[in-house]
Amino acid sequence: MKLLTLLIITIIGFTNISIAKEVNVYSYRQPILIDPFFEEFTKTTGIKVNVLHAKKGLLERVVAEGANTPADLVLTVDIARLSQFVQKDLLMEVNSVILNKNIPPHLRDSNNKWFALSKRARILAVSKDRVSNNSIKNIEDLADPRWRGKICTRPGSHDYNRSLLASIIAANGEEKAEEWASNLVLNLARKPEGNDRAQAKAVHEGVCDIAVMNTYYFGKMKFNEKNPEQKEWAKSINLIFTNQDNRGNHINVAGGGVVKYSKNKDNAIALLEFLTQPEAQILYSKMNYEYPVNPNVEPSEELSSWGVFIEDQLPVERLAELAPTAQKIIDRVGW
Amino acid sequence: MSSWNIWSVPVGIISLFIISPVLAIFYSALLGDTTLWPHLFSTVLPRYLVNTLLLMLGVGSLSLLFGISTAWLVSRYEFPGRSIFEWALLLPAAVPAYIIAYTYTDLLEYAGPVQGYLREVFNWQNSQDYWFPNIRSMEGAILVMSSVLYPYIYLLTRASFITLPISYFQTSAIYGRKPFFAVALPLARPAIIAGLALVLMETISDFGTVDYFAIETLTLGVFNVWLGMNSLSGAAQISSILFFIVVILLTLELIARRNQRFYEKHSRQETIDLDKISNYQKILFFITCLIPLILGFIIPVSVLLNFVLKGYSVVNISEVVDTAITSITISFVASTTIMLLSFLMVVVATYKSNTFQKSLIFLASCGYAFPGTILAVGVVVFVGWLNEIFYFHINYFIGGFIVLIFAYTLRFLAIGNGSIRSGIMRINPNLIDASRTMGRSFLTTMKKVILPLTYTNILVGGILVFVDILKELPITLLLRPFNFETLATYVYQYASDEMLEESSFAALIIVVAGLGPVIFLSRTIKKYSNKTN
Repeated sequence: MKLLTLLIITIIGFTNISIAKEVNVYSYRQPILIDPFFEEFTKTTGIKVNVLHAKKGLLERVVAEGANTPADLVLTVDIARLSQFVQKDLLMEVNSVILNKNIPPHLRDSNNKWFALSKRARILAVSKDRVSNNSIKNIEDLADPRWRGKICTRPGSHDYNRSLLASIIAANGEEKAEEWASNLVLNLARKPEGNDRAQAKAVHEGVCDIAVMNTYYFGKMKFNEKNPEQKEWAKSINLIFTNQDNRGNHINVAGGGVVKYSKNKDNAIALLEFLTQPEAQILYSKMNYEYPVNPNVEPSEELSSWGVFIEDQLPVERLAELAPTAQKIIDRVGW
Repeated sequence: MSSWNIWSVPVGIISLFIISPVLAIFYSALLGDTTLWPHLFSTVLPRYLVNTLLLMLGVGSLSLLFGISTAWLVSRYEFPGRSIFEWALLLPAAVPAYIIAYTYTDLLEYAGPVQGYLREVFNWQNSQDYWFPNIRSMEGAILVMSSVLYPYIYLLTRASFITLPISYFQTSAIYGRKPFFAVALPLARPAIIAGLALVLMETISDFGTVDYFAIETLTLGVFNVWLGMNSLSGAAQISSILFFIVVILLTLELIARRNQRFYEKHSRQETIDLDKISNYQKILFFITCLIPLILGFIIPVSVLLNFVLKGYSVVNISEVVDTAITSITISFVASTTIMLLSFLMVVVATYKSNTFQKSLIFLASCGYAFPGTILAVGVVVFVGWLNEIFYFHINYFIGGFIVLIFAYTLRFLAIGNGSIRSGIMRINPNLIDASRTMGRSFLTTMKKVILPLTYTNILVGGILVFVDILKELPITLLLRPFNFETLATYVYQYASDEMLEESSFAALIIVVAGLGPVIFLSRTIKKYSNKTN
């Protein structure tokens, strides 16, 4: 009986899915962050968005499904994972005037197969009380022995740290980068654990003085009405954008691309375009505290108040290429 | 009688089909380059291996301690709360490991209530003033995982203890031997081992807890190689090590008990009277049973409840109800399928198969040793090969539904097989022979003799599988169709960002949905064992 009910439900579901005006998205982005955009898109265009959210394995799923895949669009949060789709030849070239206008060249694929949709900077969150403002300028300073036992990070093999290390490899070479990483490990206050927010919390608690963190976590803590305790964490830290006198602060992107086998190609492109338009770009910065990729869109007032900064101009693709090298260094130094 | 018969051949084919995704994983492991190995050997692999073995040793020992001691006490002694403990000790099985890890961290970390209270009492200013054990550690992981995994051992062992023939206890009493060590423990060994194997496989394949606690096990290594080095084949190779660790363990056990038998010589049984004990013992036994219950259920559920009451959680009743219906439906369909298959496979393996066929059936239940996501990738690859027949040409949703059921079968067959095998090993082979000599067909024998004698085991396995699927996350996440949400994936959309507070309501519903079946199961076992005795 239950089976029958479920079959009926799924058949109804199926008829829904076969309506022409729709787009199917495979997403590594969390539903709570991206759903509001989809709702807005459906409201504006009448195109229904079906989402499959997972944290791993969507690439393998598209590979296996091949030409049968229902996926039209993939969304990821890390450039390395985005460009893996290109390496497996799963994305199509999209030549859209709107996308080309809204996204600067270093934030999209040279063959227009993937497009960045928002940026996040990896910054330092330091204790207001215990770290003076000018004591750290560059990410390289984290290797300084004066910070012995003062630094907290999440595990090195997380996407964000791997990408940070990749940027250091690109700037200073593999050998220097490894030296940096092994000194950083010596400076850690505790075994790497938890997410970025947990590191800022550790600074608040006095476990360490410096945390490595993505920018948007600051906003999420500062305005956390559900759990007001987190506002206190935000209050006890200063943000430092690194390498402002040289290459600029490391950034990573969230982005997407249209699947080669897409059956709703036009809708998929429409959704990508929608996400780069000013209305959506403002939403990225207001709601998620991420930086817009569209150069004509100013970050929200709140975001700007954290500081205007120079970003590392390294083409983000390079981060993806260097990720495996970075992972090997992480294994060697035990970060 | 030839072992290539109408029973063993189809079951062999089914087994082969079930294990195909695992073969797909091996295949990609073999295809892949091995250039990563020198790097892995000289850097992380020894550490991963040691951590994995330590975790298995710790979780295995503590789960045995919790599971066997409580099973023995509730089935042999009369003490206050015994009849509640009988079923309540199963409750931790309904709590997902990733949730218990989260709740314990919330409770025991620096900012949590426990340390906050201590600081207030002793007037400590910051973390430098005192030492407090870090829950995010190997010891912490062993504690939290054991607290939710011991019910596998408890359940199977208890089912075994309550069906022990009283004559054995009388004999041991005559000879002045302790009944627990002389009778119960040796006879319950198949059940204990079956439970332990499940616990160890669950431990070895766990990702959620070790990731949250940052314990570098082989499973964490699998993901670093796969996602960090962009090498699925390297990940498949490490997964294969995990698989072989499990196969070696299970084979060792098989060899060790090859020449022993666990069935009763005669089936006349009398009800075992519960032993009367002193007040001092009553208190001691009460506490022994209370500890695992507090650790695995009362603490995590209180933390979740506290989140909900404080208004941290997103409470969207209609969404949660819809999700719960989906979850319960798919868990029910899948667990029924799995138990049917398990029964068929174990019976055929025991009575109708040669060594080769037995091995095949045994291997089909080893999917439990793989991390869920890797198994899901194996399924994706295998179904990709089949997809002209399967996946998309039926109907996207029904196809997706079938694929999910298939993947659950591959993952949880070990639970079904384990619990049924521990029942079948206790059936006196003479009963089967007698039935066959009287001209009954194998099918009739199966229905009239084997089924009633393993009924409890089928229920036990079925409920464990049901509860496990209710909690299952990585496979569901990757293999589900669009817009398909179970309670676990619903919880996960927040938990992935360490914001479990917001999904605490849905997390509580997972536990509640698991409660019903667990209580029902316990009652049925009791009724059934009274009836047969």
